[in-house]
Formats: sequence, C-alpha cells, structure tokens
Amino acid sequence: MKNYLIQIVEDDSSVKKLLEITFKEYEFNYVSCESKKSAMMMFLSHNPDLLIVDLGLPDGDGKEFIKQIREISKLPIVVLSARHDEKEIIAALDAGADDYITKPFSVNELLARIRANLRRDISDENIPDKIICGELKMDIASRDIFFKQEQLKLTPIEYELLKYFLLNTNKTLTHKQILKEVWGIGYQNEMQYLRTYVNTLRKKIEQNSTRPNYIKTESGIGYRFCCNN
Amino acid sequence: MTISFNTKYIFILKGLGILFVITLVSHIFREHLDIINIALIHIIPVVIVAIHGNMKATIFITLLSVIFFNFLYIPPLYSFTVHNELYIWSFFIFAIVGWIITVQAKNLYTQTKQNEMRESLLNIISHDLRTPLSTIIGTTNLVLSNENMDKENMKSLLDDINYASLRMKRLITNILDSTRLSSADMSLKYEWCDFDDIAGVALEEFSDKQKDELLDIKIDDFGLYWGDNILLKQLIVNLLDNAFKYSKNNTKVTLKIVDLGSSVKIEIFNQSNHIDKTKLKNIFDKFYRLEDTDDISGSGIGLAICKSIVSLHGGSIKASAIDEGILIEVNLPIAKKAKLV
Repeated sequence: MKNYLIQIVEDDSSVKKLLEITFKEYEFNYVSCESKKSAMMMFLSHNPDLLIVDLGLPDGDGKEFIKQIREISKLPIVVLSARHDEKEIIAALDAGADDYITKPFSVNELLARIRANLRRDISDENIPDKIICGELKMDIASRDIFFKQEQLKLTPIEYELLKYFLLNTNKTLTHKQILKEVWGIGYQNEMQYLRTYVNTLRKKIEQNSTRPNYIKTESGIGYRFCCNN
Repeated sequence: MTISFNTKYIFILKGLGILFVITLVSHIFREHLDIINIALIHIIPVVIVAIHGNMKATIFITLLSVIFFNFLYIPPLYSFTVHNELYIWSFFIFAIVGWIITVQAKNLYTQTKQNEMRESLLNIISHDLRTPLSTIIGTTNLVLSNENMDKENMKSLLDDINYASLRMKRLITNILDSTRLSSADMSLKYEWCDFDDIAGVALEEFSDKQKDELLDIKIDDFGLYWGDNILLKQLIVNLLDNAFKYSKNNTKVTLKIVDLGSSVKIEIFNQSNHIDKTKLKNIFDKFYRLEDTDDISGSGIGLAICKSIVSLHGGSIKASAIDEGILIEVNLPIAKKAKLV
C-alpha cells in the first residue's frame, strides 16, 4: 500500500492533536498547519494526497482556500465543521470539497471517510468504461447496469441518477449538485424529484431501504454513494 | 374543557361581582361621597380584571364600569347623556389605566413562565448532564491512573465513556431543539420528505443490536410528505429512544408508518412494566417522567419535543395502554401531494 500524505489545516490544538495521533497510529504520513496562509505554501511544497480543512480559520474562510485549491488540483478535500452548520457544509461542498466530518467525530468515522476518499482515483481524467461497486456493475458504453449479475430495469432518470452516483462514489453530493447534474440547470430546487427517485432506486438496489448500504442520506445536505470495494 | 374554561375566566366573574357590590355601596352612600371618590372606586374592578393580562376582558369590564358610573352618577342621572365633556376624559383615563396594567401583567406573566422554564432546564443540566459526565470523569481518571490495566477492562471502560458522551450529545441536541421549538418565531422548514429516508437516518442513532434484534419496522409506500425533514427525523428518534428505554427486556419495539389517505399515522409500540393508565396523558408534558423509573436515564424532554413537533405540523399525538405495553399514535395531516412531471 502506498504511504499517503495527509495535510491537516486546523487551528484548534486539541482537534489537531487528535488528528495527528490518529494518523500516526494508522500509518498515514501527515503535515499540519494552522492558518489559511501557511496552508497554501505547505500545499505547494508538500503536494499531499488528501486535505483536511477546518472551515473556521483564524485568517479567513476555509471555503476560499478550497476554491483556490480547486483551481490547481483535484485531490480529495475533506471538510471539518461544527454540527448544525448545514449551510456552511453545503457551501464548502459546492465550493469543491468532496466530503465532510462534523465535530465531535469518532476516529472510526474519520478513518472510514478518509480511506473512502483516497480510494477514488483522481489521476485518471477519462471516464472508465466499467464501474464496479459492491454487487453493482455498470458498462458505460452499452449503458447496462447489472445488480447481482442480473440486468437492472431502470427508467431513463433512474439510470442517469445511478450513473451519476457511480461516477462519484464515496463523495458527499449536495441536493443541488445532483439535481443540476441529473435533471439540468433550473431544477436545483426540485427536491421532490430527487427524493422520489432516490426512494425508487433504493427499492431496486438496497436489501432494506431503511438500512441502505449504497445510497446513504446526509441529513439536510445530500447523499453519498458508498462503495467499499 | 369546561373546567379549564371556568378557571380561566373566573376572574371576569369576580370583577363583575365587585362592580355590582361597589355600585350598590356607592349608591347607598352617594350623598356622602363626592363624584371623584365614586369614580376612583369604579376603577377597582378594572384593575382586578387587568392584572390577569387579558386585553379583551379588560376592555369589557372598563366599558361596563364606565356605563354604570355614567348611568348612575353623572348628571343628568339615569341617562347615558353627558353634559360636561370633562367626564369623557375620565372614561379615557379608565381605559388607559386598564391598558397599562394589562400590558405590565402580560410581561410579568411571560417572565414567570421563562423563569420556570429556565429553572427546569437548570434541573436537567444539574442532574441529567452530570450523570454521564461523572461517568466520563471517573472512568477517565481510572484509566489514567492504572497504566497496566489489561486490554479487556480498558476497552469496557472506554465503551462506558463513549456511551456516556453519546447520551450527553443527544441530550444537548434535545435541549437546543426544545428552546428552538418553544421560541415564538419558530417556523417550520417545509420540504418534501420521504419517510423511508427519515426512518433510515433516525435508525443511525441506535445500536446495531437495537436495529437488528429489537425492532420491527413497516412503512407504507405513499410518496412524499410535506413537512420539516429534520424535525420529523427528531420525532422518530425520540419516539424510538423512548420505546427502547421503557420496553421490557429483550422484547421487540414495533414502528409502523401507515398511509391513511388524508393523513399519515405513525404508530410505535413497546411492551412495558411501567404503565399507569391514569398518568399516560401526562407523558407529553415537559419534564414529566413516569414514577418508579428512576433507574432509566432520561430527562422527560424527548416526548415533549415530539408533541411540539407534531402540533407544529398540525397533527395530534396520544398514548394508550394496550396488551401490556404502550402504544403511541401520531397523526400528521397531509397538506399537499407532490406533483411529479
């Protein structure tokens, strides 16, 4: 396994310490900094594999930093934020962050999110011709999706939605992002479509739709399509 | 209903009674009393009614008091005509006095209510937050001072800390929600809600054992519901939390969400040893807990929040005792149906 380098941008010393000890324990390399200004310099000199960014930094908004990074890199960015701050989280995700963790967080949850985000292959610019996720298999060219070796019967919108999920696995997608990508511009607020189609899609691919394994709900924010290959 | 109506408005009757009595008294002694004294006496019923803080009642008794005063004492006697316009001013003064007292009484009333609320909150904090906190402090110290503790013991102690901190987290969420829900400018964030999804998110708050072994869940397929997603999730979490807490050891809790056409019915049932039928209607009151349940941790705030959430959605909630268990039924009216093009 490759030894990944994680850059921590967090000004709260106890949270930073917790992150550092966790990464040391689980054999990730890490570098850490406490401000937006030093974060950019550190990013350029170390070229990390993943960024953990606290949203409230002493010298400015973490969202601005995320936007700057997104102009030059596609690396996974995981945001740290206080709970009950859905608007901030959504804004950070829309600014280009891939995922978020709320404080207080458990170490297991943190590691699961980080591993899932590192698993996504960002080096490959081209869309692959096959995506496999758990018992789901999608052939992009023939537009066929198989579930447990059987072809899934999907309506055109269900297909587009599942395809978008499969192309963005292990990433928190906001409601707006999904509506815009699947239904198109102008549909960003039509939540009833998204809720209905997620419901019907779950009935087709989840064993128990109230205990989903693939399409997880991020309450108030959006959905995450989980893949643990 | 009639009892609460009587106790609520009995002060008006009291005001009326006093008005009649003083009218009688001042009529008997009218030769000895100056008109100014009689006017002052007639302000008494106004004051008595006004301190209850009900503006309509105050206006009513002021009007009555002024009519009596005018009819009986202001020349020409036994008529409603007024010769001297100075008396018109005295009517206004009656009304102003009543108004000032009513407003003050209202402020005082809300203040007392807020104080009561604050006191209950303090009680919760001192008791229900302290219990898990003492576990956390005690256990942490134990772990810190025993460097050579074996792994198994250590793990079980850390589990205790984890569990205690999760309980604290849920309680803090509930306290925040409850202050938010009881504030006057609380408005619902309406959106299209999917009960399958809501139940799924709510279930994440419970342990695998509870989800896998102790819960039966059945949700009708009825499309989307127009409501507040976050609050409805909290409703399900609190109902389940309550059911798990008070259910008889290792018996199943059932959750059903049923489509009734014009409303959605949420039913949650748990077997229980703690049933006193006469007290069931109180369980939705803030900080109320069934007696003999001191061993069960909880603040009594959860079901009160359920009630607030349900009534904000225009629905109803009730508890009943059936088959040696408690059944809680929530009825949420369907305001509108989602249109899908």
